[in-house]
Amino acid sequence: MCIQKNNQMLVSEVMIPLDQMAVIGESIIMKETLEEMGRSHLGIACIVDDKNKLLGILTDGDIRRKLLKVQKPFSALLVDDALEHAIHSPMTTRPDMTLKDAVVLMGEKKIWDLPVVNSKGILIGLLHLHRAIQALLGI
Amino acid sequence: MDKRVLEVGYGSVNKIKIGDNLPLAFILGPCAIESREHAFKMAKSIGEICQRVGVPWIYKSCYDKDCRSSPDSFHGLGADHGLRVLADVREEFGVPVISDFSEPEWSKATGEVCDLVQVPAYLCRQTSILRAAALTNRPIHLKKGQFMSPWNMKNSVRKLEAAGCHQILLADRGTFFGYNMLVNDMTSFPIMARTGYPVCFDATHSIQLPTSMGNISGGQREFIPYLVRAAVACGINALFMEVHDDPDNALSDTNTVLDIRYLENVLGQAKAVHETRLALLEKYGEDNVHPEK
Repeated sequence: MCIQKNNQMLVSEVMIPLDQMAVIGESIIMKETLEEMGRSHLGIACIVDDKNKLLGILTDGDIRRKLLKVQKPFSALLVDDALEHAIHSPMTTRPDMTLKDAVVLMGEKKIWDLPVVNSKGILIGLLHLHRAIQALLGI
Repeated sequence: MDKRVLEVGYGSVNKIKIGDNLPLAFILGPCAIESREHAFKMAKSIGEICQRVGVPWIYKSCYDKDCRSSPDSFHGLGADHGLRVLADVREEFGVPVISDFSEPEWSKATGEVCDLVQVPAYLCRQTSILRAAALTNRPIHLKKGQFMSPWNMKNSVRKLEAAGCHQILLADRGTFFGYNMLVNDMTSFPIMARTGYPVCFDATHSIQLPTSMGNISGGQREFIPYLVRAAVACGINALFMEVHDDPDNALSDTNTVLDIRYLENVLGQAKAVHETRLALLEKYGEDNVHPEK
């Protein structure tokens, strides 16, 4: 195992590709979003426009906090657009950021996932802490 | 959320804009088209009252009453005859007209005549009806089913949008409260307005007691003004009321239609409450006492 070498790895090398994460359109309702998050086995959904520009994210934590604040019936919450409850200016990373810096950033912000966007704000993947640690440790 | 404004009226009739902070619009007329003579009489009388009060209005009357409680009840003049009457009303009085339709194959003819096309509450989630409504290319008055939650109306809105319709007016006409009873949840207006489309209150059907009288519906007309004031204060953009010059002998909804003798009173109150609400909006801004919605 060579942690020194792994320190030079880039986010692009370990990010989860779009087809393995929950990427949803801006008019997708909460119910479908939760299903999509379940399918991806990730606690985050990324909401994009029709050009894949990242509009916001919704995480398990956001939903947990929302449940305590919004006391509308579940049937009403489930038909809301996920975008209504999303974080609209989420922390993101670029594909050419080093993995080490990205993990440090996640630690500072106390987050597990970082959407990866290009210079135009187009979503191209997701950095998940579990995969990042595995890569850094070379396991 | 972008607020959409509905534009009702084609050809030479008065054009009416509905939504946002525009003047409250009114949809008024007898439940069913009873005869050409009666339709003209009602359109003339209602038009004069609306002119005195100073409010924009749309003439409402239906050519087919498919949801009557009894097979013996008046079913309507039918599409051909009824739509001819409505076409003549809009020509004679310059007023936009609205009728509903309950069979997809009637939608085209309905849209060719009517400025605003109505989807009945009982059919508000029927995909074939909604698709047919959208294909008329007219603005759609979509009534919330008595069995529907206001938030679930978004699904019906999405069906209309998927078929190309982006001119929608969402109405509440009461919600079933057990059997033969309706109640009005005034939160339905801000909830449905979150779709971005203007909202309407159907006052005379809201006081209906559905099929409470064996084979016809009853109603509690005395509550119309109370509910109207409440709904207007809650931010509706349009008010729908069925009006008749002789409710006891009306061929449809005899127990719920508003007697025309009270129309000026109710319109005047609705207009005043609406203007007060707009003044309060100007003074205090949009209601937002809870940041989480």
